[in-house]
Amino acid sequence: MTATYRPAEPIWCAGCGHFGVEAALIAALADLDVPKEETLVLAGIGCSGTIQNNMGTYGYHALHGRVLPTATGSWEANPELTVIAAGGDGDGYAIGMGHLIHTFRRNPSITYIVMNNGIYGLTKGQNSPTRQGTAALDAALLGLSVLETTFIARGFTRAPDQLRRLTAAALTHARQGHGFAFLEVLSPCVTYNDTYPRWETEHIDLDADDTYDPTDRSSAFTRVVALEAEYRIPVGLIYHDPSAEPGSFPNPASADIDPVRNAEAYSGIIDRYRI
Amino acid sequence: MTRVLSDLNAMVAGQGGDGSLTVVTLLGNVLAGRGFHLYSTRNVASRIKGGPAAALVRGSIEPRTGMGDTLDVFVAFDTEAIELSGHRVAADGFVVYDSSAGPLPSGYLPDDVTVIEIPFGRLAVADLRRELYKNSLAFGVVSRILTFSDTEAASVLEARFASRPDLVERNLEALREGFTFADDHGFTQNAGPLRLTDTKHSDRILISGNHAAALGCLVAGVRFFAGYPITPATEVLEFMTRHIGSYGGVAIQAEDELAAVNMALGASLAGVRSLVATSGPGISLMQEGIGHAGAAELPLVVIDAQRAGPSTGMPTKSEQSDIGMLVHGGNGDFPRIVLAPGNPSDAFELAMTATNLAQAIQGPVYLMLDQAVSQDSATVPPFDVSNVEIDPGQRLTHDQLDTLDAYRRYAITDDGPSPLAVPGMPGGMGLVTGNEHDEWGKVSTDPVNRVAMMDKRARKIEAVLDEMPTGHRFGDPSAPVGIVGVGMESGVMREAAERLIATGTPIAGLQPRTIWPVPHETLAFLASKERVYVVEHNHEGQLAQILASVGRDCATVTSILKYDGLPFTPAELTTRIAEKEAAT
Repeated sequence: MTATYRPAEPIWCAGCGHFGVEAALIAALADLDVPKEETLVLAGIGCSGTIQNNMGTYGYHALHGRVLPTATGSWEANPELTVIAAGGDGDGYAIGMGHLIHTFRRNPSITYIVMNNGIYGLTKGQNSPTRQGTAALDAALLGLSVLETTFIARGFTRAPDQLRRLTAAALTHARQGHGFAFLEVLSPCVTYNDTYPRWETEHIDLDADDTYDPTDRSSAFTRVVALEAEYRIPVGLIYHDPSAEPGSFPNPASADIDPVRNAEAYSGIIDRYRI
Repeated sequence: MTRVLSDLNAMVAGQGGDGSLTVVTLLGNVLAGRGFHLYSTRNVASRIKGGPAAALVRGSIEPRTGMGDTLDVFVAFDTEAIELSGHRVAADGFVVYDSSAGPLPSGYLPDDVTVIEIPFGRLAVADLRRELYKNSLAFGVVSRILTFSDTEAASVLEARFASRPDLVERNLEALREGFTFADDHGFTQNAGPLRLTDTKHSDRILISGNHAAALGCLVAGVRFFAGYPITPATEVLEFMTRHIGSYGGVAIQAEDELAAVNMALGASLAGVRSLVATSGPGISLMQEGIGHAGAAELPLVVIDAQRAGPSTGMPTKSEQSDIGMLVHGGNGDFPRIVLAPGNPSDAFELAMTATNLAQAIQGPVYLMLDQAVSQDSATVPPFDVSNVEIDPGQRLTHDQLDTLDAYRRYAITDDGPSPLAVPGMPGGMGLVTGNEHDEWGKVSTDPVNRVAMMDKRARKIEAVLDEMPTGHRFGDPSAPVGIVGVGMESGVMREAAERLIATGTPIAGLQPRTIWPVPHETLAFLASKERVYVVEHNHEGQLAQILASVGRDCATVTSILKYDGLPFTPAELTTRIAEKEAAT
């Protein structure tokens, strides 16, 4: 048996929400029996961008804001992998926001976990696009507005069982080839923006609401907008496209690149240029 | 009196959408059928329709990658064409002018030029109900000037419209009307004023550098492409979008160049040979990702189809002003290779080399083209795909991985690259990062480790120095004076050298195909000459600066620069060198 790297100890502060995200991810991967060698965790830059070091899977540390295109490329190259992108709200919603919209639109079968703490922690406390009181962005609403979106959920690290369930649901959605599974996690930064008390009172669990239909995009949009007008943060399965079908994808990683076996086909291209 | 040509330069100009390209394509087909080499280029504005547009073709017995000094035949569909390009017509040349646009503007053409004025556009509309038929009318006249037989002209026209049978008859009618006008002007069949010299037909392809480079990458195993439309690199995106799927690959049009390069990095991480293609502005945006390929040790091929900069610059004009950025760009020190093809054959060959070298060094390899090399087409021997080598580099098989006690993604090795496992392989789990890292891929700022890792990455280049493409030589090797240039200068340098040698100035030429690292052969060439002229299309002499900074005897280097958006003509380059030599 070939030895590989020893998973790292997290670098996070005691009480950081990211511990909960990591625990949920490890548990969900175990629940689904996903082999480590088939799992690729790509993370952005920031405190959250170290999660891949702790997993024992294949891990990649992307450029700041570029975790989604990188993860998309990996999945396009080998759709048999379980590709998980992870990052923070600065990485995903500020420098990387352009890619999020296009990833919703492109709908690759990858999971994206955003650890939202409303702050830039690693650079010691600058406001992020989701900081309350600074015209905070809501990526869930953004996702709902893109017609190709197939999965949107939000978890809270204070609700670990639900978070584990939502993480498993997101992974399952992507692993079955249904498309892009977007999971935002309210993951407080206890050092620079301790939102535990605030989010404890503001979050509202849609999973516990029998009247909420997560398969109805327009009512989901209406409900999220209404809740946010009341300063409530919806948590749970926000939207799931029930018609999402498993796609069939080319697998460049297993493509035949042998020049001899392809020679005739290559010659066919060259013939088009004969004059 | 019929003049026999072994080198024909022709231009058809009008407004974008006029169909100038059609006449040139037809002319090129006759020339190629006769065994002439072709070089074809276009001169267009950065807009979809309208604006001055021209198509040019050169047919020659010698292979040429550039237009000649003057035009033998010029078809002008409007007054602007005469005003812009009339001065390029040879004194003994022929101008076919579409007088529907108005009277021939005076003062733009050399005195003794023969002008045939026919209102093609008006006649096409009146007699054939479609203005575009003016192209076949004009081709009829040109065919008579060049003494093509009427059947030869008709057959290339039929072949051109083979996919549109509904258009064949009308175009033939237009062609015959063109013959009638030629008769009226005294250019009867088989008795034109110009004739092509006899030569043998050879099996050739007519292809642009962009298509040749894309094909080379595909043949060398590239199965992932990501790009964003940009002139003059878009043909690579189009080629890959059209073809790569048939080979199990994927081409993605990304939302921007940042996404494109990172998608390619992600695909490379998953073990697929990956390519991006762009121009200078896109390289600027990709710079961080390319540096990441260097730091994280991910194979990546980057095609740069250079255009005139800085900033948005002149998108349709050729320049070589990204050289400094490719060689030195990006934050921090990281190893990279820059290769520069000078024609479609080079582009195909170097694209394959670049793809293999990217695997060998597990890092970025640039294929540096310029707009002229990228978009102009030339005839070359059909590419040979029977002896293609796929170098897997240090990529591990499952069995090889199983024999290792431990897998370290960045294991320090004697020659630099580390054994590579990709996701999906049990036992190959590794951490890949652009942070400085230890052998396992864990972030590290340990000073001893830092030095070991920087040195390891640098060694990867030394290990492949012998595999770098060597340059092309021309001229008189024993001459004390040398000329060096790459890309679009390759063809015109040869012609200038031929002329200089013929007029008593011996000169030796080198077209390096590896720009970075500067190979020994380039330094040896510089050192062996009393003076070397470095010819390039930019303002700062970027190639000369690199050669001077690496070379030992920099005093010998003199720059010959051009940055007006136009290629050198052979006469212009010859004169520039002759003047410098006279002043020595």
